[in-house]
Amino acid sequence: MRGHRDLKWVCAAAVVAALVACLVPWETVRLLAALPLAVFLPGYAIAAAAFGSQRLDPQRLAMLTLLCGLSLLCLGGIVLNYLPGGLRTVTWALLLLLVVLATARAAALRRGKPDGPPSGWTRPRLRGIDIACVVLAAVVAVGALVFAYTPLPASKAVGYTALWMLPPKDAADPALKVGVISAEQGRRHYRLEARVGENGKPTRYHLALDPDEERVIEVPVETPAGKRTQVVVSLYDSERPHQLYRRVTTWTAGSQPGEG
Amino acid sequence: MSSRDSRASGRRQRLLAAGPSPLALIVLSAAVGLLLCAYTNALSREGGDPTQLVYWAGVLLVVVPIAARVGMEDVSLRERFALVALFGLSLYAIKVIRDPFLFTFPDEPIHAYNANQAMLHHGLFNGNPILPVTSGYPGLASATSALMSLSGLSSFTAGVILIGLARLLLVLALFVLFTRVSGSHRLAGVAVVIYAGSSNFLYWGVQYSYESLSLPLLVAVLAAFAEREAAGSRLARAWVVPIVLGTLAVVVTHHLTSYALVLVLVLLAVIYRLVRSPKPNPWPFAVFAAVLAVGWMLIAAGNTVDYLSPVFSDAVTSIWNTVFGESEARGLFQSASAEIVHETPFVARLITLAAAGLLLAGFLAGLREAWARRSKRPFVVLFCIGGAAFFATLGLRFAPDAWETGNRAGMYLFIGLAFVVAYAVLRLMREGPRQRLREAAALGSIGIVVIGGAIAGWPWDSQLAQPTRITAEGAEIESEPITLARWIGEQLPERRFAAADADARMILAPGEAEAQTGNALAIKTILPETSLSNWELPSLRGNGLGYLVADRRKAATDPGRGSYFFVPGSEENALLPLAAMHKFGERRLGRVYDSGNIVVFNLRNRP
Repeated sequence: MRGHRDLKWVCAAAVVAALVACLVPWETVRLLAALPLAVFLPGYAIAAAAFGSQRLDPQRLAMLTLLCGLSLLCLGGIVLNYLPGGLRTVTWALLLLLVVLATARAAALRRGKPDGPPSGWTRPRLRGIDIACVVLAAVVAVGALVFAYTPLPASKAVGYTALWMLPPKDAADPALKVGVISAEQGRRHYRLEARVGENGKPTRYHLALDPDEERVIEVPVETPAGKRTQVVVSLYDSERPHQLYRRVTTWTAGSQPGEG
Repeated sequence: MSSRDSRASGRRQRLLAAGPSPLALIVLSAAVGLLLCAYTNALSREGGDPTQLVYWAGVLLVVVPIAARVGMEDVSLRERFALVALFGLSLYAIKVIRDPFLFTFPDEPIHAYNANQAMLHHGLFNGNPILPVTSGYPGLASATSALMSLSGLSSFTAGVILIGLARLLLVLALFVLFTRVSGSHRLAGVAVVIYAGSSNFLYWGVQYSYESLSLPLLVAVLAAFAEREAAGSRLARAWVVPIVLGTLAVVVTHHLTSYALVLVLVLLAVIYRLVRSPKPNPWPFAVFAAVLAVGWMLIAAGNTVDYLSPVFSDAVTSIWNTVFGESEARGLFQSASAEIVHETPFVARLITLAAAGLLLAGFLAGLREAWARRSKRPFVVLFCIGGAAFFATLGLRFAPDAWETGNRAGMYLFIGLAFVVAYAVLRLMREGPRQRLREAAALGSIGIVVIGGAIAGWPWDSQLAQPTRITAEGAEIESEPITLARWIGEQLPERRFAAADADARMILAPGEAEAQTGNALAIKTILPETSLSNWELPSLRGNGLGYLVADRRKAATDPGRGSYFFVPGSEENALLPLAAMHKFGERRLGRVYDSGNIVVFNLRNRP
């Protein structure tokens, strides 16, 4: 690849990007490496290998880079699917790196002699006022995206509360997990009643939840061995304390002696 | 010219030279357009009722300046290319701005589930409970999983980036294709802008779905093919590499696009023969693509026929019945879930009809000039046929079960239409008397065509964002179906559900659990009815489903509208009768989750 500066840069960038994608924990940094590694570098290298010493104009090169890069991504997963390891960070990084190195090598061989004089592509001359205009546009566009990605209050949207109940994950644990999630528009007060068995005395809990707050309570249940007991958990909103707001129910089975 | 006139003209030119370049101003205009769209969407998410005029003004701020500039004569190839890229990405950003938090378009969660499953199992072909055929075409899941694996991003963010790249490829490939076929990058730029008038360009075509990736690949393959045709023998061989690679990618990504590619290549082979083109006939490529498409269907996607055959047979039956008066024709601006759709305003309907009329006028006006080049460029014949076929598919919109087929076919046929109409636009902009007036008419028409296409392709009440995530006292809360999906993802160990369409999609992604819906196991019938038959619950249990999600919201059956916050008074927020929920309680099923409108029943938890 001696003398082919573009190919050398592509290979070096692919190696660095693969290392960053595999080793760095921060998503944003990894994305900056992942995009070139996944799309642009393989796409460029494949196009370079296909066209050898023929120079492509920027628009055809851009199209080919995207076409080859995206096509490789569509097909690469199918190849990895049948290889040991499957689709993982390391296997994807290795596959893409191998494609870049192999096709860059092929491109260098096909080109033959090193880079000649620079191609007809010239960097556009930018004036200060144009740069200012584009920077302003970038600020406005970023502002639009930030605006879009910022959740706003919506007074007309109806908030709600979710009540849930799940059996314990461990059979030895006799408590049911009961959760209350508030997605209400403001702080709410609740009364929670858990009744074990049809004639059981309800256990009461009083909760106050802010929007997006969740409270999980463990409701102890003792079920006689071999029997099934109904557990009913009811939630009342303090604004309407006598009107049932939410209800969940379950039937628990008592463990046989010796089951723990 | 008097000396005063020449001085004024000189002054104007100096002022223009000192000011920003047109490209910089257009970039700024597009950014302001995006800001307007973001502002209107934000108002809509707030639950307000913003005037859509501001939104459409934002869209026009993106479209019209670019259309004006690419239509000018003295613009360099490089600038036109940059404008086309800006055009594609800016219009894509409008969709991103509409749905910034999660996928809400009908097919998006289905494909996000495929990508998540690929990550989870480190492999492809994991099956899909709602749209099984998608699992046999894993190109999109493969590409998304690559970005997810390498960057650590979610399927949502990786998908948004991937479709953005696909959109960029689409506009660049269209530009290269049109430039090569017409020999004019001016015409190519105008044709790309006109292509945005396709009814699926603004929204449907950029949802996170396999066709959104495969269509750009198809266009790029055609562009590479056109380049190969024009290249010398040495360079022609080089173009084979991207053509083969792209064809393979199309075949593993989307069934219909791969068949469309085969059809296009076969048509080209026939046209080459008919016009006695001196270039080598492309039939080997047609055979190659056909063998790949059929081979892939047989080897990896055997359920494709089961999936597609009802779509086409229903369409044919529907056309027959509509033509012979056996069933009522479908009204325009009406979707399948008509009972909960807002009516499209009269002005919007008028714009859409005007767009169709302008396209027809443009097609007829541009046809002669385009057709004159048929002997040199077989692609021109293909485009003319495509443009004419587009108008034929408009008729399908009157047949209830065929309108979607027509709408989807439009994405492909519009490529030809845009090419032919661009000739008419350039003719209108030609130098001569009243040039300014004619240019303004051309730009106005392009604006109408783009807006009309967007209105035709997407329900009026869904053009703007609806609330899915809002703030309340400084905290962020999400809509009922989304909270349910996240709860399922975090808490429920067993992960097979029966649910209404919208809920099922949320359960797939972001819930990352398995959900059946629609006609599968009669779920569509079981959920809204007010009493249960004895066979229904055992049937669900017998098919391995552990939970049933009952949702009182009628919008839950609408995958396009069912993931939003409940806003009282809006038509789409009508409720089912309470009996539809109580019927499960009467069977004494365990209730594991209750958020008011949504209740989850445990099908196996009984006395």
